[in-house]
Amino acid sequence: MAYVAARGGEAAILEAERLYKVMLGPLGMAQVRMLTDHLPYLLDRVMGEASLYAPELAALAVAQTGGDLYEAVLLLRAYRSTQPRLAYAAPIEQDAITTVRRVSAAFKDIPGGQVLGPTLDYSHRMLEMNVLRGQPTTTNSSVDVSSTVSSSPTVFPALAAWQRQAGLLPEITADTTTPDEIPDVTREPLLFPVSRSHKLQSLARGDTGGILALGYANMRGYGAVHPTINEVRLGYADVILTHPVTGVHFSAGQVRVSSAEIVTNFAGDPHDPRLELGFSATLGWNEVKVIAASMLDLSMGKAGHASQTPEFVLYHTEPVESSGFCIHFKLPHYVTFQSSLEAMRGVKQLERADDLLEMAEKVDA
Amino acid sequence: MSRLSELTHDWQDHSYAFLDEASKRELRRKILKAIAIPGYQVPYASREVPMARGWGTGGLQVTLTLVAPHDTVKVIDQGADDSVNAANIRRFIARVAGAATTTDTLRCTLLQSRHRIPEERLLEGQILILQVPEPEPLRGVETSSAASAVLHADADYGLMWLSLYEQIVRHRRVILGASYPVMVGGRYIMAPSPIPRWDVPMLHQAAHLTILSAGREKRLYAVPPYTDVRPLEFDDVPFRIEDQGGEVCYRTGAGHKFLNELPQDDGSSRFELSDSGYGEKLLRRQAGETVEIGATYYDERGGFYHDDLLR
Repeated sequence: MAYVAARGGEAAILEAERLYKVMLGPLGMAQVRMLTDHLPYLLDRVMGEASLYAPELAALAVAQTGGDLYEAVLLLRAYRSTQPRLAYAAPIEQDAITTVRRVSAAFKDIPGGQVLGPTLDYSHRMLEMNVLRGQPTTTNSSVDVSSTVSSSPTVFPALAAWQRQAGLLPEITADTTTPDEIPDVTREPLLFPVSRSHKLQSLARGDTGGILALGYANMRGYGAVHPTINEVRLGYADVILTHPVTGVHFSAGQVRVSSAEIVTNFAGDPHDPRLELGFSATLGWNEVKVIAASMLDLSMGKAGHASQTPEFVLYHTEPVESSGFCIHFKLPHYVTFQSSLEAMRGVKQLERADDLLEMAEKVDA
Repeated sequence: MSRLSELTHDWQDHSYAFLDEASKRELRRKILKAIAIPGYQVPYASREVPMARGWGTGGLQVTLTLVAPHDTVKVIDQGADDSVNAANIRRFIARVAGAATTTDTLRCTLLQSRHRIPEERLLEGQILILQVPEPEPLRGVETSSAASAVLHADADYGLMWLSLYEQIVRHRRVILGASYPVMVGGRYIMAPSPIPRWDVPMLHQAAHLTILSAGREKRLYAVPPYTDVRPLEFDDVPFRIEDQGGEVCYRTGAGHKFLNELPQDDGSSRFELSDSGYGEKLLRRQAGETVEIGATYYDERGGFYHDDLLR
């Protein structure tokens, strides 16, 4: 049966979904637990793009879709649509984040120090073949991780704060907007010219691959700025809520967060140049994404290239919309196709009629 | 003292008709605004729903917002009720809203459609919800949505007219297929969604309400009942619907209706009605059943029911 004519569709779609599930195998708490225990970076990516911090739900979404990340993000976003927004948390200050990793490329050492923390940056990317030979890896007992962690400070100032003191960055005045008055891109449409909060929120939940592609375009060949990483930070932040009745501030729990700051020099007045900051933060530890996104934050609105245009960047890095629209081309389009075919045949007919007329005139002559 | 559990209803996976109530309230307000300003694109937040973007999520959000248990819902894709995506959307609406479903245009209260308006005339009280991929009719001539919003505000449509003129210069006719731009209420140029040109006149002075909704692009707009909707045309180059070439539906014998072309193995084509619900009723009548069939927009000689529109 031809696919457009996959008719009496209901039975067909139920069977197709059943086949998918049969091929995937049964789903249980074991898979969910395996994912939450062993694939935290995968879940961070999914939760970031879904803008929903819920490791167990994210694990369920990944398991239920067999690891199809666009489908997993859509599942979480759709679940999000069923939930009312009950409260807005207080903004997270950088120096209140329990930081496990903070590195800067701008200075050899920075106030608070360079903290490598957990990273694969300097690992040799070689497969642990022994695992396949039945020899599981063991944590090297000569490194006592717990003592390393507990002996270091847990909060660090922002490097930008030092740069402001030194007159390298323009002073900023504290924003007094209350959390519930900050424009919320999950409750309002993204409109252009875009507000900075919508810009940062859209980058935060943007498609990791898409953000990287456009960020990389800016870093490589189409950039308006020369970037330096001021700091990249991974840590745990408290979600601080205000009790609706008592007014007491309390922590509803901790979330993993990542942020990046990028600086460019020679911004502003050519005779009194300053540094300029690009910033990005996401739920979950998404290092590549926050670096690329802070690059985009800095370059957006700078020049004419499409990868610096907010509308181009923010519309096209939205994972649910871009992936959904892409796969929608699988839907039948025969009515629209036929309508344009009719227009094309009409033009051909006009030409053919002309040719005939010309021939007739030649014969007459 | 009451127990807390006595004061609340049982735990549910989601609200009635899936979306949370705050989301529905936003949509109802935006729909009212859209009706008040015919053809004007109202931005809305556009929630994710359990279907991929670009698969009718804008239409679905409107349907979910308007649907009530006493409604009867019809869903079509390219005119067909049994198209897989239409079947899926219908199944979802029935599942979360408990509404009845139908394939009969005359019996539905809500009609969600992708790319078609049925051949039978919609009546007062019925609501047509069109799924929209690209709500901005000016996108082809202005890529920036900020800039096109200004063009709409100023009713500055010179670029649009110019693009039609250029098509005529290049190809000797307007080469737009579906999604032919229309002027609504003499004020806003509107994308009627990718309905064929055949369907465009059906929006003019219609008895029913049409709501058009683009989930991915986060815009909805409306054509209230009895509103002027005129396709863009020049005095000397009139708007033209698709030429059906005198073909008739091979199953029902119906002519002067929008037909699907079905390529055959021998290189020829045969044709069938695009509107499957209408076709089904014609077949049942031919089989001797008593079937109520409504008046159609185009009569059996191809005449359109409003005589002031098609030249």
